[in-house]
Amino acid sequence: MADESPKAPPPPAAPGPEAAARPAAPPAAKPDLLRAPVPSPAADRLRERFPEEVLEVSYYAGDVLVRLRKERFQEIARFLRDDPGLRFDYLSNLTAVHWPQKPKPFEIVYHLYSIGKRHRLTLKLEVQDGEEAPTACGVWPTANWHEREVFDLFGIRFTGHPDMTRILMTDEWVGHPLRKDYPLEGKPEDHVQYREVTTAEHVYTYEKASIRGFGWKKEVEKTGEGNG
Amino acid sequence: MFRTEEMDINMGPQHPSTHGVLRLKLSLEGEEITDVRPVIGYLHRGVEKLCEHRTYPMIEPLTDRLDYVAAISENLGFCGAVEKLMGVQVPPRAQHIRVVLAELQRIASHLLWLGTHALDLGAMTVFFYTFREREMILDLFEAFCGARLTYNSMRIGGLLEDLPRGWVDRVRHFVKIFPSREKEYEDLLTVNRIWMGRTKGVGILKPEDAIALGVSGPSLRGSGVDYDVRKAQPYSSYDQFPFDVPLGTNGDTYDRYVVRMEEMRQSCRIIQQALDRLPEGEVRAKVPKYIKPPAGEVYHVVESPRGEQGFHIVSTGGEMPYRMRFRSPSFVNLQALPMMCRGQLIADVVAVIGSIDIVLGDVDR
Repeated sequence: MADESPKAPPPPAAPGPEAAARPAAPPAAKPDLLRAPVPSPAADRLRERFPEEVLEVSYYAGDVLVRLRKERFQEIARFLRDDPGLRFDYLSNLTAVHWPQKPKPFEIVYHLYSIGKRHRLTLKLEVQDGEEAPTACGVWPTANWHEREVFDLFGIRFTGHPDMTRILMTDEWVGHPLRKDYPLEGKPEDHVQYREVTTAEHVYTYEKASIRGFGWKKEVEKTGEGNG
Repeated sequence: MFRTEEMDINMGPQHPSTHGVLRLKLSLEGEEITDVRPVIGYLHRGVEKLCEHRTYPMIEPLTDRLDYVAAISENLGFCGAVEKLMGVQVPPRAQHIRVVLAELQRIASHLLWLGTHALDLGAMTVFFYTFREREMILDLFEAFCGARLTYNSMRIGGLLEDLPRGWVDRVRHFVKIFPSREKEYEDLLTVNRIWMGRTKGVGILKPEDAIALGVSGPSLRGSGVDYDVRKAQPYSSYDQFPFDVPLGTNGDTYDRYVVRMEEMRQSCRIIQQALDRLPEGEVRAKVPKYIKPPAGEVYHVVESPRGEQGFHIVSTGGEMPYRMRFRSPSFVNLQALPMMCRGQLIADVVAVIGSIDIVLGDVDR
């Protein structure tokens, strides 16, 4: 997209053969058309019932994504599960995404499905680093292991979770590997400075994290604390 | 006079019938199980982290190594997710070939499951029979892409190459002989009194619990819940082939066995139809040489032999995904194990683990 500006003639020629070769669906390849809204009774119903809580509804390739405030999440979840018109009884997936530059860096993503109605909906919550997220275990018991995995790999705690322990990594592991600042290779202690705090919880300062290759800035500096 | 005390014992991670490095902490009262706590992560390789540092075509071989007994289903799901992200339309011939491959893979995976599950419960003969036919499928895959386990069989936008000469006839031959072979397994097991004694009424999973725990695939359908992604939200031209979704009634180990046996027959039916209607034409859509999907996020699900296999990709417009998440059915189905094992005997744990058909590469990622 960016290199279209220097020369005027080539860009019209470039999409030409591509569009001719694929007559069936050339418009679908354009990002703005991929983002075209699709009718979603679930999102409409949610916006009508909780107008304050729904921050944004977006669309991508037929998926409907609803960004919510996290305060009344459990109430919303229960509503989505029990409402006779929606019946999102199946939590297909729960995961998180780390955006270090954003003011609320962690995004928790819920992929819901309704076995009876056969429709899908994606929910999103945003949390601060160190802030706890509401658990979905009471509404969809399958969230139990998913939330443990999110805690293990991202370090997000869930309020009210029955067993908030690591699941994939060992219990004594330091750091949360799927954070963007966690190194891809090397021993963690080479990259990550950490110190123990009074809650017997390992907290590590991840500004020091570095990574070989992949264009990451390497700046490991020694501080007095920790054993890095 | 007598004192009863709960005892904790450890099963695995080097136990042959946990099908990999699964560790179970069992709490027992006598021989009856009061609680099971699965301990996983022994095979965690950080695939999701690795994906954030690889371009999209480089990720496909990693997907082979998640569910390594059904690699083609993973390939299909991953390629489908990237195609959805890019808005690419796959040519019909490639879609039909993908369906044939995925269904052959389903049969191969179910044969591996049947052989090992029966072996765990003491029926050794079935193992030799099922591996005979699985070998035929692996030979077909080898002829198609050169590999027998980790195929890397597809490309984003379609397939790398068209089918090799004579391959369709070999598949037709397999589909023709397979029903009689399946009858041989059924003769050994379906009305076998020992088999029924070991599996009927064992590891019952109620439909409402199965849905709440997110169980999918044959384990969910064994409980009588009609959810098959191929039917519910068809992908890759599955909507063009009529087939039945078998359902169980009791949700026990025997029902899950019956469901998988019937699924193999339905897979044969789908393969037959896909081959009969195989269109001519291209096998790969026009995709750019450097795959850079636009910024956005998708969640794409396919029906792998184990259940709903989900792929969540977050793209920021670069050539590597910003976040890649694999929703693996084995991980989620394993969560239902404690509920299914409570009140059973130790020997039944082996039957239940076999019946939910987990692959530890997929559980731990």
